Amino acid sequence: MDVDRSVAALSEVLFTLAIFAVGIAILEGVLYVILVRWLKARLALPILLIAPALVGLTALIIYPLVWELNVSFTNMSLNRLCDPGFPAGLLAECRGEPMFIGLDNYINVFTRPVLQVAGFFQVFWQTILWTVINVAFHVGLGLGLALLLNRHLRLKGVYRALIVLPWAIPQIVSLAVWRTELNAEFGMVNQLLSLIGISGPSWMTDPFWNFFAMIMVNVWLGVPFMMVLLLGGLQSIPADLYEAAEIDGASSRQSFRHITLPLLRPVLVPSVILGTVWTFNNFNVPFVINQLELETSDTLVTGLFRAAFQYNRYGFAGAYAFVVFAVLLVFVIVYVRRSGALRGAYE
Amino acid sequence: MSHKLQRLLPIFVVGALVLAACGGGEIGGDESEAPESQGTDSSEAAAPSEAAFPEGDIEIELWTKEGDPQIEYVEALADAYTAEHANVTINVVNKDVEVLREDLVNTALAPESAPELVWTVADHVGPFTSAGVIQELDGKVDTAGYEEGALAAVQVDGTTWGIPISNGNQLMLYYNKSIVGEEPPADTDELIATATENTGDGSFGLVFNETESFWLTPWLAGFGTSVFEDDGTTPNLDTPEMQAALEFLYDLKYTEEVMPGEADYTIASDLFTSGDAAMIVNGDWELGNYADQLGDDLGVAPLPTVTSTGLDPAPYTAGSFYMVPSAIEGDTLTVVLDFISWSTSTENQIQMVEELRRLPANLEALEDPIVTDDPLLAGAAEAVQRGTPQPTNVEMRCVFDAMNTGIRDVLGAGNSDFASVTADMQAAAENCVATL
Repeated sequence: MDVDRSVAALSEVLFTLAIFAVGIAILEGVLYVILVRWLKARLALPILLIAPALVGLTALIIYPLVWELNVSFTNMSLNRLCDPGFPAGLLAECRGEPMFIGLDNYINVFTRPVLQVAGFFQVFWQTILWTVINVAFHVGLGLGLALLLNRHLRLKGVYRALIVLPWAIPQIVSLAVWRTELNAEFGMVNQLLSLIGISGPSWMTDPFWNFFAMIMVNVWLGVPFMMVLLLGGLQSIPADLYEAAEIDGASSRQSFRHITLPLLRPVLVPSVILGTVWTFNNFNVPFVINQLELETSDTLVTGLFRAAFQYNRYGFAGAYAFVVFAVLLVFVIVYVRRSGALRGAYE
Repeated sequence: MSHKLQRLLPIFVVGALVLAACGGGEIGGDESEAPESQGTDSSEAAAPSEAAFPEGDIEIELWTKEGDPQIEYVEALADAYTAEHANVTINVVNKDVEVLREDLVNTALAPESAPELVWTVADHVGPFTSAGVIQELDGKVDTAGYEEGALAAVQVDGTTWGIPISNGNQLMLYYNKSIVGEEPPADTDELIATATENTGDGSFGLVFNETESFWLTPWLAGFGTSVFEDDGTTPNLDTPEMQAALEFLYDLKYTEEVMPGEADYTIASDLFTSGDAAMIVNGDWELGNYADQLGDDLGVAPLPTVTSTGLDPAPYTAGSFYMVPSAIEGDTLTVVLDFISWSTSTENQIQMVEELRRLPANLEALEDPIVTDDPLLAGAAEAVQRGTPQPTNVEMRCVFDAMNTGIRDVLGAGNSDFASVTADMQAAAENCVATL
């Protein structure tokens, strides 16, 4: 270990933190003077409390989003790597050509390949399939495990710890190991299959099996989190409701349908929304397991990464990102309304 | 409007003006000015021999494509330099070749994240000059002492964008003499026969990296084609010759069955060094490592002639090169240029031959007995002579990406509809070129 280099790195981190602390202190001071002393605003305290976070969000999320939207109307790419400026390259030229190209990128997202050959709709349907199958397994298996653990069981804590283990391991480490073990010739998965007389598939090169492998790994990674959420929801359901149902002669299936599911809805629906959005936007699993960049295994998000950082199509990638955002936004709005997620459990 | 809102309005106006002034990140230089099509020219630093060595603390981050174990040589080189110049710190960072390309191109959007020096391959010149992230080196480094062919790989329209470290980078046939015998196969029929003899019981006759198109390119000349049309920029991938080349590789794996089920670079190399593969097609950068592992059992030869056409495969030749990011200037640039000259001096190039067993780019080192008297290096030199300079124009990036898809489809997924594969490759390359 190079001590000098470690000390230098630590000093840089501490210096940066100090800059942040001073900046926040100045911000709070200015806001205090304006809101408390000068305006005597009623909401001064809440504003003071959220101001640092708001500044961070603006710098790290809002400004990049605005910039991305700006770039999405330009032809910025490897051969046109110029600063378009605001607004949208209207006043900028690159290599003698205007940078502003209007909605061309948005049109190209739907009419030209977003990868090397695959178009938007192919990748979109692959993403839908990827999301639906994953969420179905996450919720189904997660609920099943939660129901099993929501009863008196010896060594329940041990089972819970083992089930949560995939979630606890750093994801990139898990994925690197999975990728190695999915090798058709030398990986552990096929070697285990061969012990029971099954000839393992080519997980990394066959389009179907690579997609299958992605789902398999993501289910393994995602079930623990869903199980923990749903277990918490199950544990909040009063036990006397089940006792009353039992007295009234309800079967376990009827109890599940008429007590468990409705009372679990306030937890289940947000979990499904979160699971859907996270799975839809999942980058790590599709990118790492699809090591050979099979276009049949790419999702919208990995396609977006490739467009921006492998093919250097920055303007196009900006438009592509907003199309993906719009898709998710529509889903969330429709799902929240239809599922009544904002209704209380007892309404 | 309420009294409080009236009092807040000036603050909002000022805040909006401040944000507008802050908007629009700069990409290295004047906002309204496009970078020149061939990168930028930071000519402030004088040639090292003319300027006094800078005295202040200089930190250099060197990104190198060299991984284990070759990176040890790079680190030793850096340590030797810093031992002579106590005020200089060189931090060597390994990056995969493709990651290095992506990361350096992306520094066009964030110049402060660029390293001070890059050790990479010649075909990166195209994307790097398009993105304007490297600077030209004419007049900054004395290029008279370098092998012309090596230097030509990083010259675009007469402008020099890199300094050669090694000459070659060619793919060639390594074989294990204890398995194959003293003489390598002379043509592809012999290659198949030898590989078939030595396949079985977990061993394979032939291995290579099945996931990258660089391993497809040598065979194109063997089947009478090339990746570009005569203009040098229009992709030429959908041809019967390309289909024949793909069919040859397909047959090696699926018809003759002399190759493993899946083999990337690491698996192929490990199979060869562990003695589980009789032959491997790999680059000259592994010569030192394989010589250490196999000793006298290692044989090196050019790729065998294609029996059906009588043509020799022609691997791409280039080498490893130093390239200097365009943001580097002043004292840092002076030290970087001095390091480049020092590390490619005759003495250090001979040292490189001893450590890495690569052909040097320095002319004097090329004539040293360490090169001329070494049979392995002689084999490598013969392979280089059959090679062809790798195109470095930015369209080559599109061609490599398109061929990656093709070779993975054929060797990975076992797709034997070669016409469809080459049609897809052509479409992919054309689409990429159109969106550059």
